[in-house]
Amino acid sequence: MVQRRTVLGLMGGLAIAGVSGVSFAAGDATGKKGGTITVAIIGEPPTLDPMLSTADVVSTVTQHFFDTLYTFDSHWNVVPLLASDMPKISDDGKTYVIPLRQGIKFHDGSTMTADDVVACLQRWTKLATRGKGVAAKIDSITATDDHTVTIAMNTPYSPMMSLLAFSNSACMITPKSNLGDQLTAIIGTGPYKLADHKPDQYIQVVRFDDYQSRTEPSDGSFGQRNQYLDEIRFVPVPDTNTRVEGVISGQFAFADSLSNEAYDRLAKSDVSMPVLLNSFGWPVFAMNTKKGLMSKLEIRQAVEAALAPEDMLTAAFGDKKFFTVDGPMYPEGWAWRNDAGVELYNQANPEKAAGLLKQGNYDGSPLRILTSHQYEFHYQMAVVAQAYLQQAGFKVELDVVDWATLTQRRANPDLWDIYISHSPFLPEPALNSTYDANSPVGWNDPDKNKVLDQFTTVSDQKQRQALFAQLQKMVFEQVPFYKVGDFNALLGQSKKLSGVPQTPWPFFWNAQVSA
Amino acid sequence: MARYIANRVLGMIVVMFLVLTATFIIVRLAPGDPAGLMLGPDATPADVIELRHAMGLDQPIPVQFVSFLAQAVRGDLGQSIFFNQPVLQVITARAEPTVLLTLFSIVIAVGIALPVGILSAYWRGSWFDQGALSTAMLLASIPSFWLGLMFQQHLTGGGVLPVSGFGDPGSSFFEHMRYLILPSLVLGLVNSALIIRFSRASMLDVLSDDYIRTARSKGMSEWRVVLKHAFKNALIPIITVVGLTFALLISGAVVTERVFNLPGVGSLVVGAVLRRDYPLIQGTLVVIAGLYILINFAIDMLYLLVDPRVRY
Amino acid sequence: MATASISTSLPGEAGLFRVMLRRPAVAIGLTIFAILVLTAVFAPFIAPHDPNKLSIAHRLRPPSGDNWFGTDEFGRDVFSRAIFAGRISLSVGLGVAVLASILGVVLGLVGGFFRRLDAPVSRIIDAMMAFPDILLAIALVAALGASLVNVIIALAIVYTPRIARVIRAATLVIRELTYVEAARALGVATWRILGNHILRNVASPIIVQATFVFAYAMLAEAGLSFLGVGVDASTPTWGTMINEGSQYVGNADWIIFFPGIAITLCVLSLQIAGDGLRDALDPRLSREL
Repeated sequence: MVQRRTVLGLMGGLAIAGVSGVSFAAGDATGKKGGTITVAIIGEPPTLDPMLSTADVVSTVTQHFFDTLYTFDSHWNVVPLLASDMPKISDDGKTYVIPLRQGIKFHDGSTMTADDVVACLQRWTKLATRGKGVAAKIDSITATDDHTVTIAMNTPYSPMMSLLAFSNSACMITPKSNLGDQLTAIIGTGPYKLADHKPDQYIQVVRFDDYQSRTEPSDGSFGQRNQYLDEIRFVPVPDTNTRVEGVISGQFAFADSLSNEAYDRLAKSDVSMPVLLNSFGWPVFAMNTKKGLMSKLEIRQAVEAALAPEDMLTAAFGDKKFFTVDGPMYPEGWAWRNDAGVELYNQANPEKAAGLLKQGNYDGSPLRILTSHQYEFHYQMAVVAQAYLQQAGFKVELDVVDWATLTQRRANPDLWDIYISHSPFLPEPALNSTYDANSPVGWNDPDKNKVLDQFTTVSDQKQRQALFAQLQKMVFEQVPFYKVGDFNALLGQSKKLSGVPQTPWPFFWNAQVSA
Repeated sequence: MARYIANRVLGMIVVMFLVLTATFIIVRLAPGDPAGLMLGPDATPADVIELRHAMGLDQPIPVQFVSFLAQAVRGDLGQSIFFNQPVLQVITARAEPTVLLTLFSIVIAVGIALPVGILSAYWRGSWFDQGALSTAMLLASIPSFWLGLMFQQHLTGGGVLPVSGFGDPGSSFFEHMRYLILPSLVLGLVNSALIIRFSRASMLDVLSDDYIRTARSKGMSEWRVVLKHAFKNALIPIITVVGLTFALLISGAVVTERVFNLPGVGSLVVGAVLRRDYPLIQGTLVVIAGLYILINFAIDMLYLLVDPRVRY
Repeated sequence: MATASISTSLPGEAGLFRVMLRRPAVAIGLTIFAILVLTAVFAPFIAPHDPNKLSIAHRLRPPSGDNWFGTDEFGRDVFSRAIFAGRISLSVGLGVAVLASILGVVLGLVGGFFRRLDAPVSRIIDAMMAFPDILLAIALVAALGASLVNVIIALAIVYTPRIARVIRAATLVIRELTYVEAARALGVATWRILGNHILRNVASPIIVQATFVFAYAMLAEAGLSFLGVGVDASTPTWGTMINEGSQYVGNADWIIFFPGIAITLCVLSLQIAGDGLRDALDPRLSREL
């Protein structure tokens, strides 16, 4: 049996020395209870069932009422949440025995059992994007007793724990009787329960009195959850400007995803302050390798040669304090960082691009870039990219649609050549679906597939890091997607609010609001 | 008189029918398959076919049209794809901000425009008059959303006037109204032009009438002349304009709700269009057009009561 | 919107231009409008910079000697962009005015001239006018697809009833005039009557209404573009400029300020011209509506 120590060691590789700005409230059980806050989110979540969506706003909201078996601490180590402890993993890496905490109550009063967990895991492998991706590797999920669940896999899969910990496309635990293609009701085990939901207006959650908090000191998502606030209201505010104004005027205690122009105004305000998440994530231009222009290697390489990330990042984020022109897939301080292939980043070389276009027999058909105003910085990068690509000789068409249409269109390889998205830096590289051949990008190179397979099978940290370097090199050489750079996210917070750690998916169960 | 009313009612029904038809055509014209949209990209063709059948989309168009009409008459406007609730329910849940915004805007518009229009007529040709007319024209030329953005930027310092939103769900009526001050001001100003011009013209007409001269020569005080006699008779065309303004206000509400993030019917429709929620788009159009027709009908009936000279 | 004021000035359009020019309001309105139109038409020659040229290093600069209206978030010259955007915004206005006029005249003539068709046509007009402008436009653009042509078609459909109503009313009156009755008695072909007699007399109200429709169409297009449901986002119109610039209100007001002024000026000058035209063309309606 692989000891807990080794598992932690595995995860230790994820320890990020430089995840700066991660402050967390040490679990202070002596804080005063009370208060209501209004949190402005970027839009109405497409669903409140985390298994059915990979949208960040879904994670942010639902993590308050749904728990997962595991979660991450402030250094992105996997730690137990509904599980009582880290799992026992067999020597061959194929069996996970997960001990569950006992006496955990659901919001409807019933008690969580292994049967509920098994049913949720099974639904997750059928309906959730990340669950479906791993379903083929799972032989069985069983309740070995009332408080233990065993997952038997047919092949070792090192990212498995991260999947169980991730709040995105999460395997959240809800009563078995609640399950179906749609959940019957929103019932979880989380510190806050859903009180009222008016789509496009607000999502109201209130303290769950029967919540059993863990007792370890809070560290990121781990440990004690003090539930100081009586009530939290998530209000969808699609307009960035309105979110900014709302925080400055004191209407919102917290506002997600603000445009960087607001930084100075937030800093000057008496009421609010800016919250800068350093190295929050990276914008990406994803290429359609399956069909059309981008299925040809030389054309993709031409795009890589033509783009000028510095200008794109400046247009999108403004001041240098909001971005870094950086090529490697992970920023400084992350264990996954390496230099392989980086010379192909930031070329801004129109002549080279033109040459590659000729090599690829570019026929002049328009390069269709699919993007949306939902994330204004996507659109802004698209405009700059268009200019540089045109300089290199591309004919470029911008296809600007709403986000719902974008997610629909990118599933159809006939309709786009490049689509723009972004991702936070994920604790486990394999969580990034674009490495997978099944994503809309469709990166199906046999060499890459071999390396990726090894990467997800092997458990030794050093080996994984070396394999990841190989993967990164292939990304630069084959250009299945283009990482534009690193950006910092600006959020806004009321000066009266404390206890909100800096994470891409902010949570408020340890937040307090002063008078 | 009864014949007139009956005629109007009949006309109203015909127009409503045309409205329903037009809405049906417009929405059916739109590209994209609602069933496919609902199920998402992972749906199998079999799933889509099944849902199309359940939604009645595989019927021939005329049959769909008839069932649409039959349902509409019963008040069933279908089910919103995004909200997963009956359309009518979704609309009524979102009606409050828009209704309040419209009413408040009318109050502001009339409150500003009526006195200005009357005074302009009274002081015809004066600086006041010319200034009022020019201002009216200017106000009618400004894009309401632009004015809204400017107001939002420059009039909200100090936190007295909220920048956006409708206030917390649990707020009192007065709290909600505080959030509506700026948006109503914007809409009211922009739409006051028409009322200014109308009330002015109306008053001018009346002021030159014989009986006014008679009243004056009888020695009645100016106030009484203006307020009691002139104003009352000028009221009729003004009622018309207020009715017309209603349509303008709904249009204005759509953009204003976006600028001020008001969760009303206007933003509901825009969201529905962006999400391709066809039943909701259809239902909202029908409801709003229907309301407008009813209001016009009510105004016509009001005429019958108010103006003794009207006989049909 | 101006009411159905019936201007049935009898043959005398020869004096039309003279009358127009005598009224100062019309002249002023038309002049301002002409300046704006000419600026837009000659944009390629007037624009000091390429409206699409990005200059990231110079983004969000306030108005200066080099950039009269400042630069936007991509460093593009707002003045150059504004006058090029004007071409699109004005074309939409013109396209809608022309198309709505054609459709409105046809509908109005039919309803006004043929007694039996009057009731149905009136009902159709009522039905179309029951939808608030922007809502109908949004729905139509959603149905037809977001493109410049479709926006023009959608807005033309929205504004046709207004013109149709006026034309119908005018036609009703003209139809009863003696010489028209005489023509019918003489057996002159209907289309001839419509074309020669009625249409010519209805020319004045058409021009007046078209002027107003031009103005309202521009406002509507701006609104649609601002909402993101109009012309596709990469085409610069005054509305899309305000939409993109709304993010920077507070830091770079000039991005939305100048397009907003431009729209206001266009609409204002058109309204002044329209008002003046209407007053000038119908001396009987000297009631100042």
